[in-house]
Amino acid sequence: MEEYPDIEITLNVNGKDYTVKVKPYERLIDVLRYKLGFTSVKEGCGRGECGTCAVIMDGELVASCMVLAVQARGKKILTLEGLAPPGKLHAIQKALLDTFAMQCGFCFPGVIMAMKHLLDKNPNPTEEEIKEALSGNLCRCGSYLRFIKAAKLAAEYIRKGQVYFEFKG
Amino acid sequence: MYIPKNLNDALEYLDRHAPDAIPLAGGTDLLIQIREGKIRPKVLVDLSGLKSELAYVKKVNGNIVIGALTTPNDLAKTFLHKDPKYLGFLDVYKRFASPILRSLATIGGNIGVAVSASDYLTLLLTLNAKVKLVSVEGERTVPLEELVVEKRTLAKDPNELIREIIFPELPENYSTAFMKLDRREIIITGYVTVATCLQLKDGKITDVRIAFDRVNKRIPGRARKTEEFLKGKEFSLEVIRQAYNEVLPTEMVRKSDFRASGEYRMDLSKVLMKRVLLKAKSRIEGGA
Repeated sequence: MEEYPDIEITLNVNGKDYTVKVKPYERLIDVLRYKLGFTSVKEGCGRGECGTCAVIMDGELVASCMVLAVQARGKKILTLEGLAPPGKLHAIQKALLDTFAMQCGFCFPGVIMAMKHLLDKNPNPTEEEIKEALSGNLCRCGSYLRFIKAAKLAAEYIRKGQVYFEFKG
Repeated sequence: MYIPKNLNDALEYLDRHAPDAIPLAGGTDLLIQIREGKIRPKVLVDLSGLKSELAYVKKVNGNIVIGALTTPNDLAKTFLHKDPKYLGFLDVYKRFASPILRSLATIGGNIGVAVSASDYLTLLLTLNAKVKLVSVEGERTVPLEELVVEKRTLAKDPNELIREIIFPELPENYSTAFMKLDRREIIITGYVTVATCLQLKDGKITDVRIAFDRVNKRIPGRARKTEEFLKGKEFSLEVIRQAYNEVLPTEMVRKSDFRASGEYRMDLSKVLMKRVLLKAKSRIEGGA
């Protein structure tokens, strides 16, 4: 079968422009992971059901496995790598550590982006709003209750102006 | 992959290359179909760049018009999620896929996919919606019910695109409601889904439309005999019970599959029909 020609696109990932050549069938997740090295973006189901590949694209939470790279041309994308300056933790990450929410952590990149998307729009969410916002993120370890605790704690940190924390390893 | 400059460009390309070229809107169904090898398109025509042209909700001459590329998240920002008459749209939204897909999927795509889980399609059937199709030859408007003929089959030419969905504004004393039941609340297909558009005057059912995910075909459809039975009658539990026990089973065929048995689906259809009518009634009376 004849190979499709490359298409040149420009993506803005975490505030920096990248011009990359992609195949028409490549998905946003493929380009983020394998061409640009943003490996926080995880592939779970590959069909938009599990939420672990969630990124924020032009202010909307999207499944990066359900967007072709070409469709993301010219868009602003935020992944977990762009959440805090190098060496710092974002309030959401700190809150997840504080609540001991992590078990295997595979779903975390998606969960954190979903929390970030929620807290950007709603700095003081109710438990119901947190549940709804995280409803598309599956966690096979079942840390859901701690996610809710962590989201509340992160909201509190951010409301107090504590957005970034030192990372102590 | 073809990236059209505007709608006309997309239509011209489709006219020359369809059916080898397939339009790609939100992609939340098409990309899975391709991944599973069920569709092998030679070229995709990416409509995502036409969002500024084709995503809108507006009122025009007594009609509500929704652009085909409008996403559930776009709808959530409009009056359709606030006006008590149109809260059926909020119901669909709350059960629609999951947050990461509500930003991508489009209402035109939901109709174009034409499966029993096309929840906007089910709701729009109760609103007597029409669909405006567009091609290089011009535009034509067809009733939604005539457009969707069978599972994944539309009565439209491959060079035509769904441009917008049109339905009449609802007069006073009308409301809409939608329900879907499954094991979870979201990321579900639904054992049964039901939508209604109801008008009540002095306790009487002056107009009622009920659509299910399936009535006798493998696509959403209206339960017309049940509607006819209810029209003009008093809104009471006895009347509704009679409608779903005596009339609904004469027009509805429920099949078993790995998700649920036909018998259970029939029972559930009855229960959800009652609940959705009560929900619409409470909305007409000013409740949620």
